[in-house]
Amino acid sequence: MAEASRPRVPVKEGYFTVPSDPATPPRLLGSRCDDCGEHFFPRRAVCAKCLSRRTTDVELGPRGTLYSYTFVHFPLFGSMRVEHVGYGVGQVDLPEGPRVQLPLAGKQEDYRVGMTLEAELEPLREENGRDVVIIRFRPVEAR
Amino acid sequence: MKDVAVLGVGMHRFGMWPDKSNGDMGREAGLAALDDAGLSFRDVQAAYVGYIFAPVMSAARTMKEFGLTGLPVQHVENASATGSAAFREACFAVASGRHDVVMVLGFDKMTAMIQSSAQNTDPAWLEDSILPAGFFAMWATRRMHERGTKPEHLAAIAAKNFNNGALNPMSQRQASETVTVEKVLASRMVAWPLTAMMSCPIGDGAACAIVGRPEIARRLLPGRPVVKVVASALQTERYERGHLFIGPVVGPARMSVDTSRAVYEEAGLGPEDMDLVQVHDAFAIEELEYYELLGLCRGGEAEACIERGDFARGGRVAVSTDGGLIARGHPGGPTGLAQIWETTLQLRGEAGKRQVDGARVGMCHMMGGGSVCAIHILARD
Repeated sequence: MAEASRPRVPVKEGYFTVPSDPATPPRLLGSRCDDCGEHFFPRRAVCAKCLSRRTTDVELGPRGTLYSYTFVHFPLFGSMRVEHVGYGVGQVDLPEGPRVQLPLAGKQEDYRVGMTLEAELEPLREENGRDVVIIRFRPVEAR
Repeated sequence: MKDVAVLGVGMHRFGMWPDKSNGDMGREAGLAALDDAGLSFRDVQAAYVGYIFAPVMSAARTMKEFGLTGLPVQHVENASATGSAAFREACFAVASGRHDVVMVLGFDKMTAMIQSSAQNTDPAWLEDSILPAGFFAMWATRRMHERGTKPEHLAAIAAKNFNNGALNPMSQRQASETVTVEKVLASRMVAWPLTAMMSCPIGDGAACAIVGRPEIARRLLPGRPVVKVVASALQTERYERGHLFIGPVVGPARMSVDTSRAVYEEAGLGPEDMDLVQVHDAFAIEELEYYELLGLCRGGEAEACIERGDFARGGRVAVSTDGGLIARGHPGGPTGLAQIWETTLQLRGEAGKRQVDGARVGMCHMMGGGSVCAIHILARD
């Protein structure tokens, strides 16, 4: 597919990885507290739980459990693609602890609370010969 | 809260007002509040002004509409809880003895905000890319999963609020005939399971409260019931596993529980003492959750209470008597003050067709950006 062959850049740096191999799922960029071990997304300098100032950058995911979801009947802001006129949003519990809120691929009927999801990159638009991508989730069994 | 009364209230009706400025709407609400209090602007010793979307210095500039008297003016902002937060600071200014009469003015043009945010924000990242309804819809999906809540329960809340709003001359949405559950369910789907009629509209408007020492009210308007502010609480979030750091908007459920406990403790009252309650019902699922989180019913009982009509006027405790955010509207800065307006009129017995019989104690709850909860309890003296 032509899209996959173009270089990919994240819509915003510092939130998720963009693997060079399109078959490798992206991971979320978070932090782990050196003192109490709590994990966070996105990265933070001070632990929100124990207030330690010592945190380490970690990669989270790429799989998680769907806590809740919806499908929004409006265009995804910032996307130039007609297939984004409606979109899903899910709250996903990562195995490391954080809950994240991200767009969902596919359609409402693909989802149910408690299922396992995996992260993927989705192009929003092309800029200077590169795909600007966001991170979103899709059901594991649909891959 | 020691010896603070709501001396006067005023509003500019919420709605789409493309030809009116914040100054126009703020002036109308403020002059109405002064007239209601029987005061002149010369009597106002300080002002706390709430807005979210207006430019820098809009507080001091808008206050010039009333005249230039040199009074101190402060801008307070806390997202949807802006008006409530400004009200709280004004109450403290009176309770501390610093001032006798303080104006709280809230205004906003959310219609202008929607246009500017579409141009200015990084449009593609998370909370900027997802419609707020989407975040609240996920609260509904989870509730349906855990409790078997039906879209009909959410529609019943919205219908109640629309029908309350039809009795409020300041309400943005004025239904010409009784709104039914079926009509709410049939309106446009925004974010499943939330329909357009389960969601607050965007709009413009202004609201004002004058707070001051209770003896001023007794002296100026002898015979009219005095409405006192008996407690104020404002909290932010406490960390819990699963906290959403991006795209909060909804905020953790525990924040409303903790803030309501604090306000009940200060007031020496409990949820069973409330005659009417206003909540942050930007979406119908919120009002359903707040019934439980504020202690108006026990956990898991909200659906049964809705089916019984417990929260209608004439029910066990009337909620969103002015139409709530869903019908009365939610411009932003003035919204929390519209709750104070409604509660004050109700406690004086001046709420007309939507009057809650014998109302003596009322509560006003607002959430700000999912990160702030502000609650006030007002009581007829």
